[in-house]
Amino acid sequence: MSETTPDLYDGPNLDKDDVVLRVDELRKRFGGLVATDDASFAVERGTVTGLIGPNGAGKSTIFNLVSGFYEPDGGSVAVNGVDVTGAEPHEIADEGLIRTFQTPRKLEGMTVREAMLVGPQRQPGESFVKLFTSPGEVEAAETRNMEDAQRMLEQFEIDHLATQPATDLSGGQLKLVELARAMLAEPELLMLDEPVAGVNPTLANKLRDHIARLNGEGVTLCIIEHDMEFIMNLADPIIVLDQGSVLVEGTPDAVRSDDRVIDAYLGGPGE
Amino acid sequence: MSVADGARDWFAELTRAEQGVVGFIVALTALLLFGLVTGGLAPTYFLYLVGLVGMYVLLSFGLNVQWGYTGLINFSVAAFFGIGAYGTALLTAGNSPVGADGWQFSLAGVELVWVSGARLYGLLPLTVLGLLFAVALAAAVAFAIGIPTLRLRADYLAIASLGLAEVVRLLFLNQRDVTNGSAGLRGLPGFFDGWPVLGTLPQTLPGVQVHELQLGIPGLFTTRVLGFTLGAPFWQALLNVALVLAMVAAVFAVLRRVHRSPWGRVLRTIRSDEDLAEALGKDTYAFKMQSFVLGSVIMALAGVFYAHLNLFVSPGDLEPINTFYVWIAVILGGSGSNRGAIFGGFVVIAIREGTRFLGEVLPASFPLDLPLVTSTYATIVNNFASTRLLAVGVLIILVMRFRPQGVLPPQRELIWPASVAASAGPGETTPRETIDEETTATATATDPEAEPEVDDAARDGGESDE
Repeated sequence: MSETTPDLYDGPNLDKDDVVLRVDELRKRFGGLVATDDASFAVERGTVTGLIGPNGAGKSTIFNLVSGFYEPDGGSVAVNGVDVTGAEPHEIADEGLIRTFQTPRKLEGMTVREAMLVGPQRQPGESFVKLFTSPGEVEAAETRNMEDAQRMLEQFEIDHLATQPATDLSGGQLKLVELARAMLAEPELLMLDEPVAGVNPTLANKLRDHIARLNGEGVTLCIIEHDMEFIMNLADPIIVLDQGSVLVEGTPDAVRSDDRVIDAYLGGPGE
Repeated sequence: MSVADGARDWFAELTRAEQGVVGFIVALTALLLFGLVTGGLAPTYFLYLVGLVGMYVLLSFGLNVQWGYTGLINFSVAAFFGIGAYGTALLTAGNSPVGADGWQFSLAGVELVWVSGARLYGLLPLTVLGLLFAVALAAAVAFAIGIPTLRLRADYLAIASLGLAEVVRLLFLNQRDVTNGSAGLRGLPGFFDGWPVLGTLPQTLPGVQVHELQLGIPGLFTTRVLGFTLGAPFWQALLNVALVLAMVAAVFAVLRRVHRSPWGRVLRTIRSDEDLAEALGKDTYAFKMQSFVLGSVIMALAGVFYAHLNLFVSPGDLEPINTFYVWIAVILGGSGSNRGAIFGGFVVIAIREGTRFLGEVLPASFPLDLPLVTSTYATIVNNFASTRLLAVGVLIILVMRFRPQGVLPPQRELIWPASVAASAGPGETTPRETIDEETTATATATDPEAEPEVDDAARDGGESDE
């Protein structure tokens, strides 16, 4: 099938087989500024889809619209075929779309493993009533989650930090914790907002390996990234945004050499 | 070996702050015992003070659930306290315009509600009905104020609650047909009046006469100690203390359970970063509502206790200053810490009531005639009520400056211990491992400067690579 598809599409490629996320003519304006202008794209299951674009192209706005942090002015968002347009972020997370943040969020007064335990979804212990009516169920789930968290920390090679205060970590370690925690939520689609922003090259490579490993394990990812080197080595397809809508979509090589993309970036990507 | 050694080991295990608190408690207990023995402090009044401490601990617990766990800024502590106090007083007070005594509702010949002689159906004590009504009322008000404000950012709740506090106070002041207005509600029964056994216990217990003793070293000094009678008022006060202790213990047990549960963890996540909690699929609105209602209900419990302790409630009990005393207790004790809330309640009463004694003990004028000192001293001693506020203000500034996390911040990891033990990971952490006091202080102080630490990440990342 990949032989028959072109390397580059004008605008988005909406003709995908197994779509996890479908964004249709999404529109958002802030006062007079149209931040997202009829953007449409689709994320296919099992892929790492990159979302790039010059500053002000509307990447973060789209991210916030899709994850429910902004209310769209028009258009629709569907996760796994369920329409979640205008839904609360937690409802969208419930459908299996988990996002991370560009600046890692610190959880004050928690150890790393405590912070990890916020990740799992639908914990029985999150119901006030169940804490008293079925303590056994709560405890069993908590033990299970503890073990999952420990295993996840080991997979990300940060298990030595488990009992450290979450506020004592460096920016890069926080990114790893955030990724590991998001995985505990067992997402259908993991959306990462600039995972290597402010991270040194060594750790960026590690993050790249971890993300590739997760993808190999069957996790679908959608990543916004500024770092061209990083995203081109990781994602396929790449969706290029410009002025609030999708400019082109295609393989990293095709996107890299496309004139319109180079024009949008004024001087070309990477160099 | 011995008990003394055990105590010494236990003391050495504590953090420095905990040692300080233990020292404070020991000193305060010694002082109070001294007061009791020498007759400076009447036993009944002492128990009244203990009751007030318990009440403040309850209020602090309530605010701690809202602010300490979830980060909700609630400036209407006094209002929920007042709703609790009025809730029970409206039903039970002798001069209440809407008192429940004598209520009779029947429908088609079937008696549905019948209150007589402080009993419901001749069985349930009326005070229990008052308690339930007060709690339900507080929950309803909290829910109603939460609907519009908890969806918004934290500041809106702060403003709305500030307004609510005044609205509730003015309602109680002006709705004379219902609340008796500024005259207040008097003639409340004690909480256990109308209860089997407990209701008449203070009267049936024998009076105890503690004989006066003369102590002293012959020729040097002699002093008279003890010498008081413990009668029905004392037993009544003791019963009240037992009630508040039971309330504190029950609330503490519940809070301890929920604080270290996944439920409490979500609340703490919301406090740190609400967006993160949302992104991880937590319905923050629902959690904030639960926390707000729970905290308000606990505050109402304190109000119920106060009403049956004081046997009189008036709109004056809802003065905003009470709200800020509770805030001070929570911040001083350490936001988010149940132990801290208890300690804070103690300190606030120590300041509020202790300064009263200080005013009596200190001489009215400074013994020496120094230019500035004498006049300052006179100002302070003659205006003790204002000095108390000044002292509270200075104290809170000192705490913020030198120990912003409070005296007893939450230290232990809050995961259910059985789950920690059962899982394969590292075992339970000791408080020192979890939060090193020095590093926490610097971490909070240098929060925005997280970026320079990126180099450390490289080093750590590299280490595990090789």
